[in-house]
This record gives sequence, structure tokens and C-alpha cells, in this order.
Amino acid sequence: MTVEFDRGKAYVVDRGQPKLRAGQGMIAGLDVVIRHFFSAFTKKLETPDETSGVFTVQYPEERLAMPEAFRNFPILLFDDTTGQELCTSCFQCERICPPQVIHMTQAVDPTTGKPVPAVAEFMIEYDACMSCGLCAEVCPFDAIKMDHDFELATDDRAGMTVRKADLDRPVSYYETIAPTRWAEVKDGAYKKLQGNIKRRSGSIGLSPRAATAPKKAAPAAAKPAAGVAKPVAVKTAMPMAAPGKNMSEEKLARLLSIRAANVAKAGGAAPAEAEEVLATADTDDVAEAPAAVAAARPVSSGGIPFSADNLLGGVPANTTMAEDKVERLKSIRSGNLARRG
Amino acid sequence: MLKTQELQINIGPQHPSTHGVFRLVVTVDGETIVDLKPVFGYLHRNHEQLAEVSTYIQMMPFTDRLDYFNSMANNFGLAIAVEKLAGIEVPQRANYIRVLMAELTRILNHAAAVAFMINDMGAWQTPLAFGMREREKILDLFEMASGARMMCNYFRFGGIVRDLPPDFMPLLNDLMKALPTFFDETERLLRENEILLLRSEGVGILPKEVAASYSVTGPVLRASGVPYDVRKAEPYSVYNELDFDVPIGSVGDIYDRFLVRIEEMRQSYRIVQQVIERLPDTTGGHINPAMASIGKQKALKPPVGDVYGRVETPKGELGFYIVSDGSARPYRYKVRAPSFINLTPIGDMCRGHKVADVVVILGSIDIVLGEVDR
Ligand code: SF4
Ligand code: SF4
Repeated sequence: MTVEFDRGKAYVVDRGQPKLRAGQGMIAGLDVVIRHFFSAFTKKLETPDETSGVFTVQYPEERLAMPEAFRNFPILLFDDTTGQELCTSCFQCERICPPQVIHMTQAVDPTTGKPVPAVAEFMIEYDACMSCGLCAEVCPFDAIKMDHDFELATDDRAGMTVRKADLDRPVSYYETIAPTRWAEVKDGAYKKLQGNIKRRSGSIGLSPRAATAPKKAAPAAAKPAAGVAKPVAVKTAMPMAAPGKNMSEEKLARLLSIRAANVAKAGGAAPAEAEEVLATADTDDVAEAPAAVAAARPVSSGGIPFSADNLLGGVPANTTMAEDKVERLKSIRSGNLARRG
Repeated sequence: MLKTQELQINIGPQHPSTHGVFRLVVTVDGETIVDLKPVFGYLHRNHEQLAEVSTYIQMMPFTDRLDYFNSMANNFGLAIAVEKLAGIEVPQRANYIRVLMAELTRILNHAAAVAFMINDMGAWQTPLAFGMREREKILDLFEMASGARMMCNYFRFGGIVRDLPPDFMPLLNDLMKALPTFFDETERLLRENEILLLRSEGVGILPKEVAASYSVTGPVLRASGVPYDVRKAEPYSVYNELDFDVPIGSVGDIYDRFLVRIEEMRQSYRIVQQVIERLPDTTGGHINPAMASIGKQKALKPPVGDVYGRVETPKGELGFYIVSDGSARPYRYKVRAPSFINLTPIGDMCRGHKVADVVVILGSIDIVLGEVDR
């Protein structure tokens, strides 16, 4: 049967001749396999125009270069020299995020009580982020960008809710992972930043990391980008599960301290877990000196103190979640209800 | 004749043959299947309801998660439907890049689908490694263009998110050199292989009429001998400007499905060749200027009405039925998932065969549970 279409036809696939089956088919197949088997010892498949040879990569010793477009999780940028964050708390990313994992509060000028174009606290639930990149696409100030660091595996679920101090990266870091993309938006981003800095005062808008970030921040980042074929992934000072030598003990200690801190917080005590998390993180892997990182931790700036409760159960009554946040959640819920009924 | 007692067993719901969380309630008489009932829903993620509280563009990354092997094709489906609804034009260049991505998706899906099917037959891992190798190369290209290997989120209403990066084309040309060798090798490896023939010839036959009455689509339907392909039946994008044939089967058994998939890879290869040829001369940029900013995408409010947009994904006809009430969120959003519909006649295909055939038949349908359950 043949059916003619516009620009093409339907044709019946050839099922082959019923042959004397003495294993010819299998021998033909084995021939293919054996040739691949031998080339696996002699050849490495480097370019996509070949089909034989070893094509596996001995991760983590060997790493493939990542394309500039690669996106994993969002990070926030701050200017290297002034330490000012590019984010103005315009809520665009929070609104577009499909799983709604971005949360923020806008900074308020303490003298006038008016909101300023800077962010007080910024929080992304990495564990629910789906790496879609819409937040980076929508941001009018180029303040939120997609990171290349993918080695975030951890046993600390609560630690996957990442706050501003851990989201902040210097612009120079982003420049090393995505040079052409940054070059495209650079001028506009800086121009807008200059305008916004004028409306900020005091320490508002300063990145908690900026104080200690060296001039040429993320020194580890600069190295691999310089023409090395297989760059080592940039490991910045992420105080998440840094692999340590005494993993089990370290982990236990950290988990205990987190739990203690959560309990303390539920009772209204000051948050203490951040420093402890850092203190136990393995420093071998961390670009900056541990003391410097610890100093760079945010002074609690009136954001949303997180606890296991507000991660799991929506808005529990006993948290000190910012009031506007509670209001907003309420209105979203009632809006959803209204839509349904 | 010896009478034995019928026995009901469950295959799954953990992981029948690595295809996902899915359960088959099988009634067996000895080794023979008397009845088989697929039970799905274990991977339900509320996809359709989510759409009703999301804006149109917010749904784009969620469609990646339907059939996670073919996120580009899923993106295509949603984009086509919404563009039809809102009357958005797509520039020529964007269309060609879309088709390029969709056909690369088909190659990678079939490379993996054939390989997984062989894997289910017991050719443990070797053919799979070959299939995965080619798939990986295509995924590298996707990563370069869209930023992610599998969750591409590459399409936007009116075009695509970003034009191809400069190092994309050289790599694609390299890949095009390797693909014919891969198709031939896969065929040589398995075609007329005695074991494969024993396991697949005459097994899991789905007659034309039954396939049509179950609304089966895609390679499964074509293997049953129905030359139905959305790209031909209702050409979308620029498929009416491209030459390609539709391979069909004659018997409708597993072997036909296998051969049809190999031929489809060759046809997709032809399409990609034509696209590469024409891409430098295309005009119009990667996105319709009226929709170029993400703000426009976000604020998209299609007029009141409903639409059914469909594309031929590697698994079959993927349709999006969207009802708009004029607001920024769909009033109703329904996905016609090819995996789901192709899976429903599995009982008919398996009856009378042996237990060991069930897994192979399931493999030959080529399902992704993410799409079955949504
Ligand atoms: S990448 Fe997507 S899911 Fe993740 S925070 Fe950004 S918008 Fe949300
Ligand atoms: S990251 Fe960008 S989009 Fe998000 S609030 Fe800050 S400036 Fe706005």
C-alpha cells in the first residue's frame, strides 16, 4: 500500500526475508558489538561525528565544559566594587516563578519609613525550584541569574531554603560563567544600578557578602574559565553540605545544631544556626577563609526567619513571618478559593 | 486438556521494567495471560489544575515535565495551541529552529525507545549504551541552546527564547555525520536477529481497527498500518515546506514498531538536513517582535474562546485543549497525552501471550509515565 501525501508518501517498512535461521542475524549483531568493544580500548570519542570509542567521562575527576546557557539555580548579583546588590525588590521574579518558590521583603528606609529599591530579605526554596530560568529572564535589573554550580546534594533539607547571604554572588563571578550573556546586558544593568543606589541609604542594599568579598572575588572562578578544556566547577562558599573528612560526625553535629536552633527559635530565641552551620562546614572546599565567610553572614535583617515549621506547614501561627507575607498568602488562598467556586 | 487455576498477580507498581511507577493487574493461567488491566495514576502531579492558576507562560516549564524525554516537543504543543488561540505569528527562522529541535527530539526519543525495548527483551545494556550515546550528543546540543538537557523550556509564544548559539551549528553538523552510521549499526545489530525475531514477530499485534478505535497515535498506530501523522494530516509550523515520508508497518506487531521507529529516525534525519540547508536563508529572527519581551509573554491574554492545538511528538499526537475566558490564566486546560492513550490497549495486545512478553509489549509502546499520569 502506498499513500501519497503532499511532499512525501507513506511506505511499508521492509520486514526482511524469512531466511534460513542459522544465526546470521546474531552474527551480524555481534560483529557490531565486537567492533565497538575493541574501539572502547583504543579510542576516545571526543567529537560527535564518531560513533565508536569511550564516551563516558570519569566524573568527578573529569568534567565536561558547561555551555554558557546552562542553568541550574538562581543566584543574586552584587557589584564588586560598591557591594551594592542589583536587586530592587520589584517582585517580578516572585510573581512569575511557576512553583512560587521565591519570597522577598522590600527594604524600608528607617528614617522616612518609605520603601526603597533594595531588598531586605530574599529567599529561594532551592528544593522546589525547577530551574526553569523564568526569574532570570524576567528580571528587569539583571539582578537574578542562573548559576552553573550543580553540586548541591545535601542531607539538610532545610538548608535548601537559601537566603540572601548565600544567594549573593559578585558580578565578576557571573562574568566568568557567562561572559557573553553578561556583556549583552552589562551597561544597562549598571546604569539602572547607579540610579537605584541614589535612592538607597546607609547599609541598605549592601550585600552581606560584600564586606569581605575580595576585589577580584571568587578567585577559584577565574582560573578554570581561562581556556582550560575541562574546567573544574566553580565551588563558591556555599555553606551547604560541604564534603568533609569526618562526614558522619560532622553531619550529626550540624543536624543537632540546626534542630536546637529551630527549637530555640520556636521559643523566640535569637537565631544561631547560621554560624554553626558554617563552623562545621569543611573549609578545604571553600574559596574564602572561614572567618571571613562567617563575618559575611547577614545580621538578621528583619526578614523571614525560617524554621522547619514554616517550610512544612504553610504559615504557622507562632512564627514571626512578616505580616505582609501572611496577608499575601491569605489573599492568594482566598483568591484561589474564589476562582474555584 | 489440563485445567489449571487462574491466578491474579500484580506487576508493579514499583517499577515494571524501568518505565516508571505503574501497575499491571495480570490474570494468568500458567504462563499465559488471560487478562491484563493497566492501573495508572501513581505519578499524578495535577498538571491540568495547575494550569488554571498559572499564566500561560508559567505553564511552559511545566510541559517539560509531561514527557520528560521530549520536552522540546511538548513545548511545541503548548506554543502551537496558545499561538492559535491568541493569533500570534511565528517568524520563519523561529519555525525552522522549532522544527529542528522537534526532529532532533524524535531521533533521541526513538534511539532511546528502541534501545529500552531491546533492553526489556534481555539484551542488557549494550544496545542501550549505543542509543544513549547518540541521545547524549543531542542533549548536549539542547543544553547549549536552551540551558538544560531535558527540561528545555525553550519555546515562547511567537518563537523561541533565544537564537542558536554560534557553536551550535558546527556541532550539529558533526553529529549529522555520525547519525547515519548509528542508524545502520542499530539496524544491523538487531534487524533479523534471531532472538529479537522470536520475541517480537507476531507478538503484541494491534490490528488496525482496534488501534483506530482506541485512538492510538504515533509509531504504534503507524506500525499497525495506518498512515496517520499529524505533520501530514494537519501540517503545522513549516512541515508543509519539508519533504519526508511516513513509514508504516504491515502486521502491527512489536517487530513492526521497532522497524517503524528506525525508519522514522531516518526521516527525521532528512528533515534536519533540509532545515540545516535552509536555516541560513531564513528571515524573521527567533521571535515575533510583538512578543519578544518576557513582559509580553507574561501579560498574554488570549481572547475568549477555545482551541485545540496538536503536534506529532515522538510518541504520538500531543494535543492541548485550552479554553480562555479572556484572562491571563486558562479557564480550562486539557492535555491529550499520547502515552496515556497508547497505553490503554495494552490488555488487548497482551492477551494470549506469555508473562515475559508483557514487558516487551510495554516497551514497544514507548510510554513515559510523566505523561501518562500528568
Ligand atoms: S528558576 Fe524557575 S522555579 Fe526556580 S526560582 Fe526561578 S522562576 Fe522559580
Ligand atoms: S531579582 Fe530582579 S525581578 Fe526579582 S525582585 Fe530583584 S530586581 Fe526584581
